[in-house]
Amino acid sequence: MGSLLRSEEMTLCQLFLQSEAAYTCVSELGELGLVQFRDLNPDFNAFQRKFVNEIRRCEEMERKLRFLEKEIKKDGIPMLDTGDNPDAPAPREMIDLEATFEKLENEMKEVNANSEALKKNYLELTELKHILRKTQTFFEEAEFHNRQAMHDPYLGEETVGLLGEEAQQRGRGLRLGFVAGVILREKLPAFERMLWRACRGNVFLRQAEIDKPMEDPVSGDQVLKSVFIIFFQGDQLKSRVRKICEGFRATLYPCPETPSERREMSLGVMTRIEDLNTVLGQTGDHRHRVLVAAAKNIKVWFIKVRKIKAIYHTLNMFNLDVTQKCLIAECWCPCADLDRIQQALQRGTERSGSSVPSILNRMSTKQEPPTYNRNNKLTKGFQNLVDAYGVASYREINPAPFTIITFPFLFAVMFGDMGHGLIMFLFALWMVVREKQLQAKKIDNEIWTTFFGGRYIILLMGAFSMYTGFIYNDIFSKSLNLFGCQWHASNNEYTQAVLDHGKLFQLNPNGSYYGSPYPLGLDPIWSVAVNKIAFTNSLKMKTSIILGVSQMFFGVSLSLLNHRYFKNPLNIFCEFIPQVIFLFCMFGYLCILVFHKWVNYTSAEAGTAPSLLIGAINMFLFHYPVPKDGQVGVSDGQKGFQGFLVVVAVLCVPWMLFAKPFLLRYQQRYGQKRRKFDVLLGDINGESEVAFASPHTRYTETDIQFKHQHLSVNSGDLINHSDPEAEVTHHNDVGGSHHVEEEEEKVFDFPEVMINQSIHTIEYCLGCISHTASYLRLWALSLAHAQLSEVLWTMVMRIGLGFSGFVAPFAIVIIFAGWACMTVVILVLMEGLSAFLHALRLHWVEFQSKFYKGEGYMFQPFSFEDILDHGGEEK
Amino acid sequence: MMPELSFNIDHGYLEGLVRGFKCGILKQTDYLNLVQCETLEDLKLHLQSTDYGSFLANEPSPLSVSVIDDKMREKLVVEFQHLRNHCLEPLATFLDYITYSYMIDNIILLITGTLHQRPINELISKCHPLGSFEQMEAIHIASTPAELYNAVLVDTPLAPYFIDCISEQDLDEMNIEIIRNTLYKAYLEDFFNFCKNLGGATAEVMCEALAFEADRRAFIITINSFGTELSKEDREKLYPCCGNLYPDGLSKLAQAEDYDQVRQVAEYYASYKELFEGAGTNPGDKTLEDKFFEHEVKLMKHSFMHQFQFGVFYSYVKLKEQECRNIIWIGECVAQRHRAKIDSYIPIF
Repeated sequence: MGSLLRSEEMTLCQLFLQSEAAYTCVSELGELGLVQFRDLNPDFNAFQRKFVNEIRRCEEMERKLRFLEKEIKKDGIPMLDTGDNPDAPAPREMIDLEATFEKLENEMKEVNANSEALKKNYLELTELKHILRKTQTFFEEAEFHNRQAMHDPYLGEETVGLLGEEAQQRGRGLRLGFVAGVILREKLPAFERMLWRACRGNVFLRQAEIDKPMEDPVSGDQVLKSVFIIFFQGDQLKSRVRKICEGFRATLYPCPETPSERREMSLGVMTRIEDLNTVLGQTGDHRHRVLVAAAKNIKVWFIKVRKIKAIYHTLNMFNLDVTQKCLIAECWCPCADLDRIQQALQRGTERSGSSVPSILNRMSTKQEPPTYNRNNKLTKGFQNLVDAYGVASYREINPAPFTIITFPFLFAVMFGDMGHGLIMFLFALWMVVREKQLQAKKIDNEIWTTFFGGRYIILLMGAFSMYTGFIYNDIFSKSLNLFGCQWHASNNEYTQAVLDHGKLFQLNPNGSYYGSPYPLGLDPIWSVAVNKIAFTNSLKMKTSIILGVSQMFFGVSLSLLNHRYFKNPLNIFCEFIPQVIFLFCMFGYLCILVFHKWVNYTSAEAGTAPSLLIGAINMFLFHYPVPKDGQVGVSDGQKGFQGFLVVVAVLCVPWMLFAKPFLLRYQQRYGQKRRKFDVLLGDINGESEVAFASPHTRYTETDIQFKHQHLSVNSGDLINHSDPEAEVTHHNDVGGSHHVEEEEEKVFDFPEVMINQSIHTIEYCLGCISHTASYLRLWALSLAHAQLSEVLWTMVMRIGLGFSGFVAPFAIVIIFAGWACMTVVILVLMEGLSAFLHALRLHWVEFQSKFYKGEGYMFQPFSFEDILDHGGEEK
Repeated sequence: MMPELSFNIDHGYLEGLVRGFKCGILKQTDYLNLVQCETLEDLKLHLQSTDYGSFLANEPSPLSVSVIDDKMREKLVVEFQHLRNHCLEPLATFLDYITYSYMIDNIILLITGTLHQRPINELISKCHPLGSFEQMEAIHIASTPAELYNAVLVDTPLAPYFIDCISEQDLDEMNIEIIRNTLYKAYLEDFFNFCKNLGGATAEVMCEALAFEADRRAFIITINSFGTELSKEDREKLYPCCGNLYPDGLSKLAQAEDYDQVRQVAEYYASYKELFEGAGTNPGDKTLEDKFFEHEVKLMKHSFMHQFQFGVFYSYVKLKEQECRNIIWIGECVAQRHRAKIDSYIPIF
């Protein structure tokens, strides 16, 4: 559990890897996924790095694989995803892989080229077939018109089919030429217009659509085409028509003039098409075989190539040692996992067969380490909620474990309804139970992934909503009478005569209340009362103030843990204590009054209870009006106590504002003197003053690792480890890179500290007031939710219940459907979303502002799992 | 009244989009990295880390400059088509106007090609895809301008610009050049008027940009006409009349007989004076053309400072084109191992 309260302890490590073992070691670390490498050559371009050629080869392999994948998808062959996770292959295997892919790609390309040629051939033949068939009908029509014209003397020349007439008359005298071809159907109108314009109307075009779409051999798309035949006269027009055809990418085919030749030709075409079909079938089979074989392995290949690429990307971040014998890397890793990392390195070294072990060596640094929380699938969602606001600073208290309970609870306070909660709970339960199957489906829908990612949050929200719904006694805006109502209308008082008299009756608690409350939750009698809202409002408002103030108290006390952990006694005395006092004086006291009012006034004294709001305002104004008759005034003792509280609260403000900056200034002046003195003594001891002073377990020189390191590196810059300055910057010397460390000691700047502190103080003091008011949203949203569901019931469902006769069953079915849909869409989804957002805000602003800095950065380990999950777009 | 108020209703999304696209334009640091490349593969690797992303990822290995060119152009075209498909009037017409200049270039390219007996397929592949139109491929049937107009161009939006050229007798090198410039003149003037009628910030920005374009053409026409048989009267007819030079500068330009006289004309205009002064033909100097490009880039960058106007679309296309030219220049220098002049690209941001 402790692991979630604070982020993992991290350490900066230096890795010395033998060149030949580096690859396998990084591969092992990638499988482990616990190490975040730092880029040691940020000034180098992508193409100036050492392993750029290997990366390029990987990219080339990926390209080939993508090509294969595309082809496989085109043929609709299922790709086998066994889910196994092969190790990154050794560098020498890369050549084998490359050769395999090369072979496959070439084979594929050859097959494609062949089939493209064949398809083109096939397309041409089919087009020719269509041309022959369609032109046949043109010519037959012409023949028919011809005969008709001859047989029917009454038909004038104009009415005779143009083609028939022309073909006959000119066909005899002048040679009438024609070309036939096929064109894309959408180009036809423009083609026709252009022909008309360019030839000044001296051509005649007939066209017919080809019914079946044809396959374009290059792109593989289905396209619609049309057959056309153009008649013209003379060679000039012929060349012009041909040019236009060329321009519109129409394909022209020779078409014999006499019917018998045409018939012969079409017979020939048919047999050739038959032949081609068998050949095409064979090519298709061959292609299919190749692809099926590739589809079996393609996922594994992708994983392998991506792993290799990731490894080389990482190796590119390393520095080369002067002797070129080993690579130097720097990385962040969790202290607790150092052993596992060591083991991984050992495995890597063994696998590579290198005799010299790889060395892991802890460095101390003043750089802020990354924040790393170990999460399981339940806590992950809540951690994400927290991280969305800001990643926790290193080792600061992580609000996530508390959020797991408080977040669903505050949500439920706003969303209290057993029915709606149940719907939510069941939906989340379904997602949780079928987790594995749903995860395997890898649905890419953004909304779905959001819901699925937050399934445990939703589950808890649903469960808590049922609980608060039970307390509010609300189920779809109705109440349950489980334990028996504690109110009754006595027969003597409410006689038939009285009941006949009016519609509304007021039950006096003195007579009608049994005296002991409903055991758990709200008495169901209130659901029939007209003043239900007034009652629940008072209840919910008070509860939300109590919940809010206690959460804020909790937040402030968490800041105590932070101060203690970071050894900051000054902050405890100058911030934490006045903060607690301030909060208690103002709102802690208010909560006490609330409880007092709840507990101390029985139904008989209800009329004399004091008003809390007025009381609180008066407390701050020191103004206590003379009580009216029947009211109990504020006692003198209470007046004095309240006055004292206000004075203390006001005094806390200067305490928070001035104490810390001035104390710091005093310390600074005194400290400087002391340090000069220290330097004289030759003892540099500055780290206790540095802002980032977490308990860093420093390794002593007696550690075995350091001895190793002296042996392996034989460069003098690592020897003087006791000197903090050299420690921080020595990796720069090794690499020769120029990135400058941020200066480690801050200069004390009094005005800045003062301004910061005043901002802090003002924020806290005003925050306490506005945040308390802000918690009233718990009441407001809960009221809105209850009212909305009640409105939906009365406006929709009650109509359905009002029908009578044989219509009633049908009406109720239809109206119930409408009511159910609206319940889910409006009340569960929309209201749920709004309650979620408000709960989120209460956590981010009201709760976390009390203790959470959120200035850290995330630990992003080098892990194959992440890289593979994100597919191609890694890095 | 106040077109700015309702601008975002119709064009806000696309303006935002184009401003986003603009952020992907390569910066000076990118160019510094690019000029360090040893091979085209390096170039590819670096371009992958920019906004171009994996646009070359699926190209098989020996990479050539023309492939890079094609792919960059393709990317621009895809973006432009996306804008064009989602826009409303009057932005739609505005974007169409941008494509007209590419159409003119394509027509001229095709006519010149057919004049030199090149096969049409080879020419088509060289045409800019932004300026392609349906009848384009049938252009080689025309042997005279009149025919060209009647058969091919009459259906295209360029038809009204072409009317002035019909009188030319036949298509030879000279006449083609004249046709190009006449078309351009008509196009620029039309575009200028269109933008002026749109009013508001669009007019402000675009008129400045188009006026510069017009003046640049006038200068270039004049300089290129020295030593050819083009008469001064004919030359004057080719000057677009929407620039800052109109009317005095143009009439002076029409009288110019050598480069120095052109330069004298430019002296009267502060911004052009600067350009002529900076230009030279010595090695190490920038050419006048580069100077003009630099000025154009400046203008285009400037147009992004204005809100609620269409100038950003024009500017984006122009800047992207300049970027393509830069990368191709660097690519060619890298490919031909001729690194001496690799630095004479024109930085944008």
